[in-house]
Amino acid sequence: MLYTTRRTILGAATMAGLSLPSIIRAQDKESIKIGSALPLTGSQAGYGKDFDTSMRMGAADVNAAGGVNGRKVEIVALDTQAEPQLGINAANRFIGVEKMPMFYVSWSAVVKAVAPIANREKVLAINNGANSPEIATLGDYVYTTFPLADVDITKLARYVYTTLGKRRAAVLYINNDTGIDAAKLYRDTFTQAGGTIVTFEAYDPKATEFTGMLLKTRAANPDTVHIHGLTADTPQVIAQMRQLGMQQRVTSYSAAYNPKILEQLGPAAEGLIVTSLAPGVNDNKNVQKLLDEWKAAQNRVPNGLPYDQYQYDMVWLTKALYEYLDKKSLPATGDTLKEALLTQKEFDLPMTGKMIIDGHRVNKPVYLLTVEKGAFVPLATLT
Amino acid sequence: MLDPVILAQILWTGIATSAPYVLMTVGFALTLKVTGLWNFAHAGLMAIAFYTMYFVLDFCDLPVVAALPAALIVTGAASLAIEIFGLQVLRDRGSGNLTFFIFTLILSELIIYVITLLFGTEPETLFKSILSPVTIVANIAVSDWDELAVAVAASGLVLLYAFLTWSREGQFLNAVADNARLAELYGISAKRAWRVVSIISAVFIVASMYLIGTHGGVVPNSPLELIITAVIGTLLGGIGRVFAAAGAAVFLGLLQSFSILVIDSRWQNLLLYGVLFITILMFPRGVRLPPVRLLWAAR
Repeated sequence: MLYTTRRTILGAATMAGLSLPSIIRAQDKESIKIGSALPLTGSQAGYGKDFDTSMRMGAADVNAAGGVNGRKVEIVALDTQAEPQLGINAANRFIGVEKMPMFYVSWSAVVKAVAPIANREKVLAINNGANSPEIATLGDYVYTTFPLADVDITKLARYVYTTLGKRRAAVLYINNDTGIDAAKLYRDTFTQAGGTIVTFEAYDPKATEFTGMLLKTRAANPDTVHIHGLTADTPQVIAQMRQLGMQQRVTSYSAAYNPKILEQLGPAAEGLIVTSLAPGVNDNKNVQKLLDEWKAAQNRVPNGLPYDQYQYDMVWLTKALYEYLDKKSLPATGDTLKEALLTQKEFDLPMTGKMIIDGHRVNKPVYLLTVEKGAFVPLATLT
Repeated sequence: MLDPVILAQILWTGIATSAPYVLMTVGFALTLKVTGLWNFAHAGLMAIAFYTMYFVLDFCDLPVVAALPAALIVTGAASLAIEIFGLQVLRDRGSGNLTFFIFTLILSELIIYVITLLFGTEPETLFKSILSPVTIVANIAVSDWDELAVAVAASGLVLLYAFLTWSREGQFLNAVADNARLAELYGISAKRAWRVVSIISAVFIVASMYLIGTHGGVVPNSPLELIITAVIGTLLGGIGRVFAAAGAAVFLGLLQSFSILVIDSRWQNLLLYGVLFITILMFPRGVRLPPVRLLWAAR
């Protein structure tokens, strides 16, 4: 039987008192949770799951490099299915349950849906994959580290007019937040440059048959076609276009920079021009390291490599923001993290290079690639 | 846009792309005719058919001659199992129509959920390439896929017509469809008829999903959207009129294709729902064209 005496109580209290600082220090070393709202299921999961994997690779590398002043980082990913309502649920969970002062989010419709919550709760929401130009206007707590469509689409439209010498463009786009704004940008830039938009057609996100729209386009006789869709529909539009005898050069954006497109289209993909907002293997040697990690872990390259580069880098960005807070002895809140983002402004990130935050936008070089002999090869870099 | 070549191209492509919908509508309408049930489990069977073919072609790296029989066996077995261990049990209990509706819908959701866990949610095609060689016939682009789709749908309809009209088993199906109890008095087994129809519908489902899966990407959820066309076609054709439902499916395909001449392509899918509402409100028994002899008499 155990007897409790005044001496044992005193001894226990002394021990507890001595160990208190170490308990506090252990709490200090609590990991930093990084919230990430991505489509882990649903039609966009092919990208979403790969983004999550890349972000986790970034976390592993940050932790291997000592974490954030000794604290580990930990990814908390929630599924949005690229649906606004599920995005709202994820944001509420990050803020209400996980008590996170900041989280990352992708897909334009989802970013727009979570923006009011982030602004209301004064929590920093960082877009790291969506490109709707409207994201720059979503409020005081919504920022982007991913260049919006006004960066790559405007540069692409000017390139098509000026360098490729195309004068009559058709714009076919998916009727959702990804397509609508970007298509308008392409149309306006191409028109301002002096070109003519001969067809400007939206298609339903669930459509699988595009013949009518393509015949309308064929009748308008464009000399280039810009398609702003998603990975599921873009190959089908191009395939049906080629089958109807339309041989015009096709341009698209970074969503089409996907090895699956080459498989599905074969020779019909030849000449396709896509944009990339991150440097390639030839421009940055770290990219090969990421690809090697992918090959070792998954035995393949990721879907949408440039997006994956951004996802990987976001962990390093988080590290930089928290190190700023530690240096200034500031608590982690939406406001202090926003201050860290805007005050530091310039970040040297391993995969995407230098990132300069310009208010609610970010400017980056645009890398154009084209399909030649069944592979994406560099075409031009637009600064 | 009113160039005759363009109109002919829209007509041809509209017919070709409606072919898989014709097949799935026929399977759905025939089941409704014989069993009297809106069998939404067909969506789940469509998912089973596609992913069986995908598994055999992509994972096992076997040719189409192995994938199609495998899909026929697996989908047929699943369809028969649903009939014997699901629908028949509910019939024996005297369950109401709502119970059948909920059961088949939930079953589809369950199948699709399991398939999602197994295969993920990325759009998949049966073959790596979705390009099909094209021949120009009188300035109209005719792809090999178009020809295959039209041929499969046409032969499916002809074979079904022959089966229902001239075979003994087919006549039994018609008898059960007309009045199951009366048919049983004449020694025709209604249970057998329901099982036969479950197998026939599985064959149509496999043919339909083969065409869809060789034309574009499919995700586990796709069948739940595709089955809407089968429902609208069945309603529009009139309950119990299988071949009219097939015609309605072609009509829906052409309506969507030709609508591009007057509306923006983004509204094309909305048309389906518009037709569904109008049909339910104004033609609950389907659109019935006057018989040919009356048209002659009118002349």
